[in-house]
Amino acid sequence: MNGNLQQFRYETAESLKIALFQISSNKIRSFLTALGVIIGIVSITMMGTAINGIDMGFEKSLSMIGYDVIYIQKSSWSTMGEWWRYRNRPDLKTEYAARINRIIADNPDTELLIAVPQMSTYQATASYKDRVLEQIFSLGTNHEYLKTASGDLASGRFFTPGESAGSEMVCVVGDDIASGLFPNENALGKSISLKNRKFRIVGVFKKQGKFLGLFSFDNQVIMPLGAFEKVYGRNMFVTIRVKIRDQARIAEAKEELLGLMRRIRRIAPGKEEDFSINEQKAFKSQLDPIKNGIAAAGIFITGMSLFVGAIGIMNITFVSVRERTREIGLRKALGAKRRTILLQFLIESVMICLLGGVVGLVTALSITFVIEKAIPDFPVQFSFTLVLASLGVSVLTGIISGLAPAVNASKLDPADSLRYE
Amino acid sequence: MEPVIIRMASLCRHYEMGEQIVKALDSIDMEFRRNDYAAIMGPSGSGKSTLMNIIGCLDTPTSGIYELNGINVAEMDDDELARVRNREIGFVFQTFNLLPRMNCLKNVELPLIYSGVPPEERKERAEQALLSVGLGDRILHKPAELSGGQIQRVAIARALVNRPSIILADEPTGNLDTATSHDIMDMFGKLSDLGNTIILITHEEDIARFTRRIIRLRDGRIESDEKQ
Ligand SMILES: Nc1ncnc2c1ncn2[C@@H]1O[C@H](COP(=O)(O)OP(=O)(O)OP(=O)(O)O)[C@@H](O)[C@H]1O
Ligand SMILES: [Mg+2]
Repeated sequence: MNGNLQQFRYETAESLKIALFQISSNKIRSFLTALGVIIGIVSITMMGTAINGIDMGFEKSLSMIGYDVIYIQKSSWSTMGEWWRYRNRPDLKTEYAARINRIIADNPDTELLIAVPQMSTYQATASYKDRVLEQIFSLGTNHEYLKTASGDLASGRFFTPGESAGSEMVCVVGDDIASGLFPNENALGKSISLKNRKFRIVGVFKKQGKFLGLFSFDNQVIMPLGAFEKVYGRNMFVTIRVKIRDQARIAEAKEELLGLMRRIRRIAPGKEEDFSINEQKAFKSQLDPIKNGIAAAGIFITGMSLFVGAIGIMNITFVSVRERTREIGLRKALGAKRRTILLQFLIESVMICLLGGVVGLVTALSITFVIEKAIPDFPVQFSFTLVLASLGVSVLTGIISGLAPAVNASKLDPADSLRYE
Repeated sequence: MEPVIIRMASLCRHYEMGEQIVKALDSIDMEFRRNDYAAIMGPSGSGKSTLMNIIGCLDTPTSGIYELNGINVAEMDDDELARVRNREIGFVFQTFNLLPRMNCLKNVELPLIYSGVPPEERKERAEQALLSVGLGDRILHKPAELSGGQIQRVAIARALVNRPSIILADEPTGNLDTATSHDIMDMFGKLSDLGNTIILITHEEDIARFTRRIIRLRDGRIESDEKQ
């Protein structure tokens, strides 16, 4: 049996050599044949890369928000755009945070850790001397904000309980604000203007990056709630940020918070609540149609080009078998078995596909690289799984398209083949 | 008496060409013994190559019996036939059939690949075989770079390389000058003395004289079968 195995090895090595030789002596033909596979692999990897990138970018943004934080707001994230449904809801009050904290302090079994109030506007403008930044995110909260948000300070500190309680005019700014207003100097300790009020910068966040410009935590200014109200008034958008104990028990936490809020808002049993409890999962599902669209287009293009490619390879392998009928006859006459011939042609078509796959991968990688260089924020993410999947698809295409001609070749009659002109 | 290794009984090979049936071989009864050294002669189209193909297990009879080493070839499957062709038979084809893009060494190595000989030994034995046909200095040449006679000798080297017990040669000296022809025939003679069975096709009476038995075919039938 050992001898058999060895023989099989030598035959396979010979087949590999023949295939390489065959491909390298018909370079243009091989390339044209592999074109379908190349296009297929490029499209499948670009699709996977885009979807991966969107997921990664989202994960990154979402982990900025924090998985273990839920948000009480007037409207629901999962039905964004249907603002009219929430138009008549009463505004939330920042005082709810303190009331929630009091209730959970008395409940040892609570799933909730802490509630932090937040008032915010997307329409803020900050200036320093003649520099102005518009459309920044201004946010009023208390000193416990960081327990419900991610973000490390690059320099300085967050504001203290004293500053928070005293509504002092201090702020912590994101990296974009610091570098936008103070390109050549240290922002720390400087005073910036918000609606003609001076705020002293006590801390600067590290850069967190953004995803497609959707979420950026680098352009926010965070200040004590009282100070925020002095500048922007009391009618701004309120969010109660609630950190939960266990990410895995988010459903229970939401349930508890819902009951708690109904009590606070005095909503009669059976009546629909007039607030929403949001978690970031809702965001994610908003991207599903985009991802599905990309996937559908990618799979369609891939399928078509692989199909056309497979037919091309099948055709060229049939031609190759016919051209080499005498060779096949000779090899059989000299002792090649059916499986030897079968393997020889299968290996050849698989190798063409595999080479096509590699060329496709390299092309896709280059495209990805160029996109990354040109648009740094564009979400692309090349993965090892994708490489394996592409090569797997290539091999499969090779086997499928090479099988019929290879079987054909293996069944040729040696005497007839040797006479073939 | 040496044992019988090839036996044919009422063996026919017919080709159907539309309405017409070509009887390339018609009811052949014949035996070959170990270390037979035979020449098959006959006019063109008399069925010599067809007979060789059947003896060499490249083709199967339409009817009748062909036994090789006591085994009915009709009962062997494709892989067994391939094994027999590889181990038992060395074939020199009428049209040589070298692979044009491979050098002599690779061409001669081919049968060894299919019998699982390791690469180093393959090379060594192929070189040996080429040396024995006087082509030691042409090892790395491709067929296109050789003369007709040299090509023929490469084909002979390939037939010998796996040390088959039966050597079948379809006009092995057709392209050779008299001196080389005689060298080759001497080599076949020595091989037969060592116990090989050698069957060759030839048109030339003076080549046939090197053998010990002359079989004459006409229209697919045996016209005569004489020991000499
Ligand atoms: N595959 C085939 N299909 C149809 N007829 C065939 C086939 N092979 C051989 N024949 C016919 O069988 C007969 C014998 O052919 P074969 O090749 O054996 O002759 P030969 O004796 O070797 O002749 P030559 O000396 O010219 O080589 C011829 O009439 C030929 O036409
Ligand atoms: Mg002939």
